[in-house]
Amino acid sequence: MGEIILDVRNQRTAFATGRGMLQAVDGVSFTLERGKTLGVVGESGSGKSVLSRSIMRLLPGTSMTGPGSQILLNGKDLTAMTENQLRRMRGPEMAIVFQDPMTALNPTLSIGKQIMEVLMFHLKMSKRDARAKAVDLLKAVGLPQPDVRVDQYPHQLSGGMRQRVAIAIAIACEPDLLIADEPTTALDVTVQAEILDLLQRMVRERNMAMILITHDMGVVAGRCDDVAVMYAGKIVEKAPVRSLFSETRMPYTAALLSSIPRVTDPPHRKLDAIEGRPPDLINPPPGCPFAPRCRHAEDACNRAVPELTGTADHQWACIKPLNTEAAA
Amino acid sequence: MNAPTPNIDSFLSIDNLTVEYPLSRRAKVHAVTEFTAHVKRGETLGLVGESGCGKSSAARAVMQLPRPTSGSVRLDGQELTTLRGAALQHARRKFQMIFQDPIASLNPRQTIRDIVAAPLEIAGIGTKEEQTAKVAEMLDLVGINPDQAMERRPHEFSGGQCQRISIARALILSPELLVCDEAVSALDVSVQAQVLNLLEKLKGELGLTMLFISHDLAVVKHVSDRVAVMYLGKLCELADAETIYRKPVHPYTRTLLAAVPEPDPDALRDRVELIPGELPSPVNPPSGCRFRTRCPFATARCTDEVPAIREIAPGHTVACHHPLMEHSAA
Repeated sequence: MGEIILDVRNQRTAFATGRGMLQAVDGVSFTLERGKTLGVVGESGSGKSVLSRSIMRLLPGTSMTGPGSQILLNGKDLTAMTENQLRRMRGPEMAIVFQDPMTALNPTLSIGKQIMEVLMFHLKMSKRDARAKAVDLLKAVGLPQPDVRVDQYPHQLSGGMRQRVAIAIAIACEPDLLIADEPTTALDVTVQAEILDLLQRMVRERNMAMILITHDMGVVAGRCDDVAVMYAGKIVEKAPVRSLFSETRMPYTAALLSSIPRVTDPPHRKLDAIEGRPPDLINPPPGCPFAPRCRHAEDACNRAVPELTGTADHQWACIKPLNTEAAA
Repeated sequence: MNAPTPNIDSFLSIDNLTVEYPLSRRAKVHAVTEFTAHVKRGETLGLVGESGCGKSSAARAVMQLPRPTSGSVRLDGQELTTLRGAALQHARRKFQMIFQDPIASLNPRQTIRDIVAAPLEIAGIGTKEEQTAKVAEMLDLVGINPDQAMERRPHEFSGGQCQRISIARALILSPELLVCDEAVSALDVSVQAQVLNLLEKLKGELGLTMLFISHDLAVVKHVSDRVAVMYLGKLCELADAETIYRKPVHPYTRTLLAAVPEPDPDALRDRVELIPGELPSPVNPPSGCRFRTRCPFATARCTDEVPAIREIAPGHTVACHHPLMEHSAA
């Protein structure tokens, strides 16, 4: 076992809405070791982005964190911290890269200033040192002509370059945990490959832990050690990446995998679509949240929410898991 | 020199289509330059490329929204680029479009009945009762329960359902050509599969000809009979779907395919490295081959001479001085 950087225990995040409480993240627990990348996959509304914001403590005022929830980063509980304490954690211990690099950057400040700001606040660097370090960081993330670009503004850069700048800001204070929330969804496929390569290299070189949040099974397949699949606010399956693809247990994971169009398929193959829609998180069904759409569901599935079971490595939340002796 | 075989039996003929957007008196964006493609009746042509490659501009030029700068678009023998006013409006019944954002493309203040009936209303077809009956039939066809949906408004539906409603609206005039511009890109993968299967089913049942634009190569492969790859306003390669994915010969096609993240941890990643750099500006595209600034195989000839589109195998055309087949064939 490596050093545990992040230990999320029974995280529950809800939002007050006009119709009642919406349970966006519903009892999520996992640990993450230094040097490892955890992929979190799910469709819209599965709670993956709320989970990332819950860890960063970047939630709006209408949100509520469950009483039993704990998020331990390097052993310190983030849920018990004041905003001032959190500010000192964000940057040196944890950082996030968002989906849209245009809105994540301040359009009125040069990119150099935005990197220097972090360095001067957290590391108390002088202006001159911070600028030199900013150029180094831009070089490290592969921005061409870093000494010229450092004085440019976000609108002068392409989407891929902006995402490189956002990564430079995130790694500026050498955080232990990097969260990348759909970092390449807004980018073209060739640029996506470059940015994912860059993130992987940064994690390796700086020995960080990374959570890579995505809706794309293809992105997690090549880039993660472990993968957690989310559905209706819960982790429904978690496994080392190879096991998830080859020994899939949770029918939702299997259905998701077979609904993906692949470049290796013959043209016009009929896709295995998942009929129906995810459940209403204000009035969730009493049993397994996937049961109404699951082709393997039985009466028992609708009675109680299945707990995560399995081995230390591979867990699933299903009473009728696939590819097991019990199911045969 | 092999010129592409002229396709007399094509239902949709796009010839030398050029779309330019003026920026100032001198500068202009070269969005699409001399794009040529022919689509047979009942066939789906996929159009792929990254942002800024001109795929949406080309699709809109086919729709005459706006009219192309030059070139010809013929549908079932009729030249669309010279049609005006009422004649164009009448011809539009034969070609309809669905857009990327299903929610934004439906008027939030109208009921589903009025949204889907709008094309009939504009064309002046049928009485109110006949229109309503036709709307019900179309909603049924796309898998929406008409009794529950008719009097509701778009915000009460999910993205996938809104896209089904857009499809119903596009098909209500029984068009022969359906242009889909990133029609499933905003949808989650499970819903995307439902809509793709629906489009395939409708194409078969109604004998539609489709122009399917997407940045997603896997999605395009699923619905297309033939695929055209574009880069910076130019056609790079066009072939049947199977061939272009198995044996791409344009270096850009190969790069694009290699960059697709495959949902398989053991997938081999034989990456063709691009020359690092950014997409050149379509205001001042590179001379010669537009891909040469990032192409690992570029030579002086690529700078001096625009590669002509040539046919390297029946139905397989490519615009490249150094297609990747040459070393393997030698």
